[in-house]
Amino acid sequence: MRNRRQNVITLLLLAPSLVMAILLLAIPLLVVIAYSFAGRDSYGGVVTGFTLESYVELFQPAYLPIFVNSLKIAAMSTAVCVLIGYPIAYFIAFRAGKHSGLLLALLLIPFWIDFMIRMSSWMVLMGRNGTINGALTGAGIIDEPIRMIGTYPAVMVGMLYAFLPTTVLPIYAALSGINRRLLEAADDLGAGPVEAFWRVTFPLSLPGVMAAMLFVFVPAMGVYAIPVLLGGGKSIILGNLIVQLFLDFRNIPLGAAVSVVMLVLSSVIIVFYMRMLRRLEEAHA
Amino acid sequence: MPNDKKSEPDKTGRPAVELVDVCKVFDTSATPPAYAVDHLSLKIASGEFFTFLGPSGCGKTTTLRMIAGFESPTAGKILLEGHDVSGLPAHMRNTNTVFQSYALFPHLSVEDNVAFGLAVKRVPRSERGDRVAAALDLVRMRHAAGRKPSELSGGQQQRIALARALVNEPSVLLLDEPFGALDLKLRREMQIEVKEMQRRLGITFIFVTHDQEEALTMSDRIAVMSTGVVRQIDDPVGIYERPTDRFTAGFIGDMNMLSATVLERQDGVVEVLAADTRLKLKTNAELPAGKDCTIAMRPEALTFMRDSADDAAFAGKVESAVYVGTDRLYNIRLQTGEAMTVRVRNSRADSVLRIGEKVSLFCPSSAIHLLSDQDKK
Ligand SMILES: Nc1ncnc2c1ncn2[C@@H]1O[C@H](COP(=O)(O)OP(=O)(O)O)[C@@H](O)[C@H]1O
Ligand SMILES: [Mg+2]
Repeated sequence: MRNRRQNVITLLLLAPSLVMAILLLAIPLLVVIAYSFAGRDSYGGVVTGFTLESYVELFQPAYLPIFVNSLKIAAMSTAVCVLIGYPIAYFIAFRAGKHSGLLLALLLIPFWIDFMIRMSSWMVLMGRNGTINGALTGAGIIDEPIRMIGTYPAVMVGMLYAFLPTTVLPIYAALSGINRRLLEAADDLGAGPVEAFWRVTFPLSLPGVMAAMLFVFVPAMGVYAIPVLLGGGKSIILGNLIVQLFLDFRNIPLGAAVSVVMLVLSSVIIVFYMRMLRRLEEAHA
Repeated sequence: MPNDKKSEPDKTGRPAVELVDVCKVFDTSATPPAYAVDHLSLKIASGEFFTFLGPSGCGKTTTLRMIAGFESPTAGKILLEGHDVSGLPAHMRNTNTVFQSYALFPHLSVEDNVAFGLAVKRVPRSERGDRVAAALDLVRMRHAAGRKPSELSGGQQQRIALARALVNEPSVLLLDEPFGALDLKLRREMQIEVKEMQRRLGITFIFVTHDQEEALTMSDRIAVMSTGVVRQIDDPVGIYERPTDRFTAGFIGDMNMLSATVLERQDGVVEVLAADTRLKLKTNAELPAGKDCTIAMRPEALTFMRDSADDAAFAGKVESAVYVGTDRLYNIRLQTGEAMTVRVRNSRADSVLRIGEKVSLFCPSSAIHLLSDQDKK
């Protein structure tokens, strides 16, 4: 009896967030899935029903490069973020002393500003007549403005900027959790700083690195604004493919199908990853 | 593993460790500076089991960490086998440490933990395997080679930590309260085992503890520390039976202490006045007439008599009595106000005193310790 009542109370307490989750997450998701199986009339209207048309179309060779491209950009962004984020996390965890809190705050504060505004600022910075080119020509370092917007490095800069905090935080958490006595023990056993890093610090920070990679890779797969604004929208990836299908081609079922495939792909990656992470954490316990 | 060597500490040769006027101040901006270690000078012989003993916060760990190379001295020199290592980091010193928290690498197996030092020194794999196996045999943990530290009990982790240090054949092994986290029974076992191990290997052990019994049972020599200063260095018998310092006398075992004044000094004999009682004591200490000092007596060294008018006895009244099995403990309030504790065997026929009864306390002059007051803290 008592248990039943407790369950009811728990359910009631959870109700507001449950309703929100269902309204804002589950229902839209179901709608997208339903659309992906719907047909389409010649004016772009959705014809309710069940057909695999969109999926069949999606597996045409023409779409394959887009998936590959997206995976490539996500993988590259992940690599760039981890390679640059790790040293930052290391510095904050081991070298910053009492300033570590301040540095973490500085890393996070820009993210209180709207994403689009921040990306637009990058366009201003990197534009043909933008701040960077202005400064460089003004200083006489270059004669002609460098083309930055619309290049691959510009996209990477944007990705790095967008995902740096989500990279640094889990790595920082893993590093700052390392018992300092372990590093003294390594030192005591004859390992210099470099050797101690590779034998102790790095392996113990791996769960953080793995988490960081997941936090970058999955959202980077679906990113839209950065490649469009900073990459000039030239290379088509999943994010802007979906937008194009929905808005330009008015092919809502196909857009929905791309979304579903992307979702499945991400879920598979997450599940696979979490399993590896758990195994790693068990190894470290 | 090191070969079994004969264990007699080599007290004639070059010291394994020498500290010369070593100081450590953590917060150098404070005035006056707070010395965690205050002008410490001592020599530790090769093959010796040397213990730093003192209450928590007296600077034992800091001293050990300076010898290991984790902290650098604010002033002074540290010599290992005659070489000044003051500026060298830990990985360039031939010392190894057993940490109180064990500090085993959680991501490595027991075997890889023990092999760590050898791998770092690029010892060939085949030799590495043999030495790791021998080290694990030494601590009787060969069976756990493939396990992770988290799968071991505290006592087992302690053994692995020992093996991980000893496998490197250090010239000096440093142990910081290594048994602090073990329960009493295991602690006693490990004390005996580690002492025996040290005797067999002939490695210099520098041991840190706040447990006087542990220090007395294991050590060749003990340095008693308080507030960053070494108060007395002696073998366990000397520390217990011949304290020369007020702090040491009070820290090791139970001790009755009375303030005294030197009345007269002649040829190594001083006459002192303590609690209205005149005592003649032999001493080599620098104690001119008129100087204040302390006399100290163990409760078991005192005997009592009823109705005595001897002026070499302390007169007082029984204030309380405690029965502790083999003995009885009496608290005696002296006429001059000081409290003394007497420990009497129950086998003595007239061992039972009534509360309030008048007694006189005697102590053979050989059991009275005369302590100078210069470093009274
Ligand atoms: N890293 C440190 N920073 C500041 N003060 C310290 C540090 N380590 C130790 N101390 C201080 O130095 C003194 C001696 O400490 P410690 O050597 O750890 O004593 P023990 O090991 O005898 O308990 C203490 O007063 C302690 O507070
Ligand atoms: Mg300590």
